[in-house]
Amino acid sequence: MNRAPLIFLGIFFALAFSWTGIVLVNQISYGDLTPVYDENDGIAYPQALPGIAQQGRLVYQDLGCVYCHTQQVRRPGFGADIERGWGERQSVARDYIREPRVFLGSMRTGPDLRNVGTRYVDTPTSKAGSEWHHRHLYDPQITSPGSNMPPFKFLYETRKIVGEPSVNAITHLLPEQYQPEAGYEVVPTKRAESLVAYLLSLKDTYAYPETNNVYVEPAPEETKAAGQKEESK
Amino acid sequence: MSQQPPENKQSMEQAGASDESIQKVHSILLREKPEPSEGYKPMPLFLLGFISTMIFICSIYLVHYRGGFDPLVYDERFDPAKAAGAGGPVELTPEQIVAMGKKLYNTCATCHQPNGQGLPGVYPPLAGSEWVLENDQRLIRVLLDGLNGPIEVKGNTYNGAMPAFGAAGYKWNDEKIAAVLTYIRQEWGNAAEPITAAHVKEIREVDNRTKPWTAEELAAFE
Amino acid sequence: MANPSSLAASLSPEASPDLVKRAELSEIDASTKAPAIFLLGSSVLWLLLGTVFALIASFKMHSPNFLGDYEWLTFGRIRTAHLNAVVYGWSVNASFAVAIWLMARLARGVLRHTGLLFTATVFWNLGVTIGIAGILLGDSTSIEWLEFPPYATPLLFVAYALIGAWAIITFRFGKSNHIYVSQWYILAALFWFPWLYSVAQIMMIFSPARGTVQSLVNWWFAHNVLGLWFTPIGLAAVYYFLPKVLGKPIHSYYLSVLGFWSLAIFYNWAGVHHLIGGPVPVWVQSAGIAASFMMVVPVVVTAINHHMTMVGSFGALKTSPTLRFIVFGAVSYTLASLQGSSMALRSWNEVTHFTHYTVGHSHLGMYAFFTMVMFGAIYYILPRILLKEWPSAPLISVHFWTTAVGVIFYVVAISVGGLKQGFEMNNADIPFIETVKNTIIYLELRSYAGVLMTVGHIAFAVNFTWMLAKRRKAGATAPTLFRTGPEIELEASAR
Repeated sequence: MNRAPLIFLGIFFALAFSWTGIVLVNQISYGDLTPVYDENDGIAYPQALPGIAQQGRLVYQDLGCVYCHTQQVRRPGFGADIERGWGERQSVARDYIREPRVFLGSMRTGPDLRNVGTRYVDTPTSKAGSEWHHRHLYDPQITSPGSNMPPFKFLYETRKIVGEPSVNAITHLLPEQYQPEAGYEVVPTKRAESLVAYLLSLKDTYAYPETNNVYVEPAPEETKAAGQKEESK
Repeated sequence: MSQQPPENKQSMEQAGASDESIQKVHSILLREKPEPSEGYKPMPLFLLGFISTMIFICSIYLVHYRGGFDPLVYDERFDPAKAAGAGGPVELTPEQIVAMGKKLYNTCATCHQPNGQGLPGVYPPLAGSEWVLENDQRLIRVLLDGLNGPIEVKGNTYNGAMPAFGAAGYKWNDEKIAAVLTYIRQEWGNAAEPITAAHVKEIREVDNRTKPWTAEELAAFE
Repeated sequence: MANPSSLAASLSPEASPDLVKRAELSEIDASTKAPAIFLLGSSVLWLLLGTVFALIASFKMHSPNFLGDYEWLTFGRIRTAHLNAVVYGWSVNASFAVAIWLMARLARGVLRHTGLLFTATVFWNLGVTIGIAGILLGDSTSIEWLEFPPYATPLLFVAYALIGAWAIITFRFGKSNHIYVSQWYILAALFWFPWLYSVAQIMMIFSPARGTVQSLVNWWFAHNVLGLWFTPIGLAAVYYFLPKVLGKPIHSYYLSVLGFWSLAIFYNWAGVHHLIGGPVPVWVQSAGIAASFMMVVPVVVTAINHHMTMVGSFGALKTSPTLRFIVFGAVSYTLASLQGSSMALRSWNEVTHFTHYTVGHSHLGMYAFFTMVMFGAIYYILPRILLKEWPSAPLISVHFWTTAVGVIFYVVAISVGGLKQGFEMNNADIPFIETVKNTIIYLELRSYAGVLMTVGHIAFAVNFTWMLAKRRKAGATAPTLFRTGPEIELEASAR
């Protein structure tokens, strides 16, 4: 019994050590990162998400998308994130500072989504990006046959056409076997629209000063020597 | 340690309460082996060597990959103390251009599929497509400004919207557009001439267009 | 010491000091009865519910249209409900019961005011119920291991504080003047958990930190729930039941000390390995990797200590259900931890990170180690609390073989699939959709393993309910063992 205080002290300091090292030190050293103001663009990066995308972020959260999709790009040479076109550069801490909740994720049952907004784009002349997302969310088999992503049909409403068909309807985007019966149309709910807006908004294209903090391969002849060394291992 | 008489009193009362249950307490509890105790065998010596080695290796590892203990370093090979400026732009070899095109094609693959076959009735194929292989002027224009409305590819008609990758859409530069077009012209059995960035630049400047093409308009270009 | 001996003397005229101790133990066991039964009963219910959630989630992974039209059953929610049901429902309830019972016995203290303790356990289960309902209805926070919506957590916190305080009071006022190794682990776990939980709640939900500091807090918490709560409780149980069932001392006190303190120092830094390659400072990642690798030390030390205790007594595995589950768990602990250390190494992490391989690893830890140890502990504790024997040895046998074979099958299938997924994902020549399609067969195999484990859980639940319902027999009874061997526990009484 008389050793109890000693044991307790040890237990206390063991956790205090990592609490200080992992939580406190990092909170102090980069917990107050600020956006970078670009004078040429007149914009502070990262930009805040538009309001509808903020709502979409909550849909992303409540449906648990994070359990199959990461939002982090690993550096060149570590995995094939860049080669797969998931981003132009490694994700850095500043990319996330405007997000009330960070969805880094830990599982890639599906592809990384950090820059999905650069892969599907709506332009002034085309809605190709959101059309793809609507098709894909309605049933992933339409756009990606063989995928094991669940359908999110429950984010869409099949309703009777009263008067003019809705301008938002996605009925014309769906292949034949998904068509509702005549006189009905498929319309995205508010949640589907905001989720798509969120996905379209996901892109880290700005290069911050710290994105240059990457290892640069030495001059070619050294690279060769190093390569041979790797092989002989 | 018998400073709690009330507790003992209470438990005695409990014990006295049901004689029958105490009978059974014994049947299960009597067969139990004694409460665990500790032996005092000395620690094997090799363990000390093992632990010291582990601490040594891990310390070296941490020092080697510390990234200057800088919160803004995310690449373990980067040493802020040694950091120097990167080299200027480099000329790419044809293989590198195709590799770059292949990477960029990830964006296209979501509709036209990784095998270039498209999806029947929804997205047209690129493999063996006359639009890809034959007239490079039309092909560059489709990519730069997009395409709307019905289009016939390999005998089937598709009715969709291809987004613009030039100024009105994805804002890809001439090098990227040339690279991805070169890639799709040389993959899946396709074998057409590569497309140069200079050619893309030329067409971009001639047209200066902001809205998508239709198949009919494109037919005008020979 | 006067009182207990007179108590024993009143029971039996030929009372010996050993008999006095046993009479005392029976009082202690009886005092834990109400809260322990409630905790174990609800843990079994959560185990069944969590298993159903798991099966649904697992089927959805290879047949995405299965129950696809129900929003509340969508994969992102049902998978989360599964994790929280088995972690906070099954595992925490079981570990509370085991921790309280072990603490009371080892400290030689009778639990007092159990009514209040009982209320706390009801609160805990109420909190878990509200939390899981919240997740299914769409209020999940989507923070891994902390998904319970904010309105469920205060209830959990109050319940935890009461239960933790109880165990510590029992320790403080117990009669034992020796602190056995199991007690270090339990005390440490009881102290660490509220610290982790409150920091994580504050820095992630009530006043979120900026950017990826959140992610660091997230994994500092989530990995430490495993390392500083489930692992210590599981090891405490192994350290108690191994020598208890075998009737011989733990091999070496010095190894116990070394194993405990090296775990305490290194484990709590290891969580950062979930963020390797991510947007957090690289020095923290490297520190996390170094700490994960240092975890080899406590694991090897503990494994030697357990193995040397077992040496010469492997025959007892044929008869004792408790021992069989506990040894299976202890071996899995060694394997899971060594695997974990290897997965933290950058070159291997590059492949295994973000894949099903990690899922296999977490089941090796949480199921093959922790859950199996809890099963073993429950097989030992329940007869002593209820003063009844387990009704059916065949059901115990079914439980052991289905869960043991099931979890091995599970881990192998999902690990092979995960490795394939990892290698293919790092090869940009293979389109992503192909890497997905190539895992489907392994996900199907995983579902079969899950069905097998479900059978075991049902056998366990039937045996458990039957035991609660059956009548207490008068007179001496024999333990329910796999087979009657020369080593049966009855012999101990002859000592």
